Amino acid sequence: MAITEPIRRRSFMQAIVLGGVALASEGLRGVSHRLLGAAPLTHPTPGDPEIPNEIVAKIIRDHFGDRPITHAHVSLDMPQVAEDGRAVPVIIESDLPMTAENYVKGVYLIVDHNPDPLVTAFHLTPSFGKVAIETRIKMKRTSWIRAILETSSGEVWADYAKVETSLNGCG
Amino acid sequence: MTEIGKNRILIPERIARGDMIRVQALVQHPMDTGFFRDANANLIPPYFINEVLVTYAGEQVAQFEWTSGISKDPMVSFELRADREGPLAFTWKDNKGGVYQGSVNIAFAAT
Repeated sequence: MAITEPIRRRSFMQAIVLGGVALASEGLRGVSHRLLGAAPLTHPTPGDPEIPNEIVAKIIRDHFGDRPITHAHVSLDMPQVAEDGRAVPVIIESDLPMTAENYVKGVYLIVDHNPDPLVTAFHLTPSFGKVAIETRIKMKRTSWIRAILETSSGEVWADYAKVETSLNGCG
Repeated sequence: MTEIGKNRILIPERIARGDMIRVQALVQHPMDTGFFRDANANLIPPYFINEVLVTYAGEQVAQFEWTSGISKDPMVSFELRADREGPLAFTWKDNKGGVYQGSVNIAFAAT
């Protein structure tokens, strides 16, 4: 008892500290989401995803090389909790221009923890007028999602969302 | 009753030249991933739409690459600048060679 007691107390303290950190970061995310809604999409936010796994890193490298991916100009709107992993709504919007001289030519949607992470790629032309795409995707489990846009001039922009899901929609 | 390839394309009823219009396209398809099993524990083979082509007044305006990560009975919607009259046509292709087509006509309302 004399030996186990301090350990138990320590892990209890760790739990409190970790919980506090989790709450603090949740608070930050909440603020950034509110700001995103109101302000133009030009400032990086703390909502950056985890480091990509090997497969996701390869997808990013294959499509964008070593070009910087800037967290701006894109809004990825997804539920924080998706009850059904078989149909998770996705809205991807951007304030980037869609003119003959400069337009968004590719919209890539990556779900880090899906068996096939690159769920879809939309190849666009200036006829679209603006990027405002909506669809429904499957998710295997809780994951970061990346919406990455490539312009005709080669710039790469992105937004990220973490979606929690418990019902496996991929099999 | 599911009829694979049956589709609907929705556009606003009244369109003026230059309007940004919301286009929604729905198609019936199982979008099987290949990871699920049927009632007899046999794997259901992958069966999904992997390419979508969108043409507007005869010109290709978009191509979508899809995987089985798109939900069953796929829906996609987007904004299009209605700057010319003509058919807006979708072609959905699946991994078993199925090709499904649908189109609506974009015509401007008389002012």
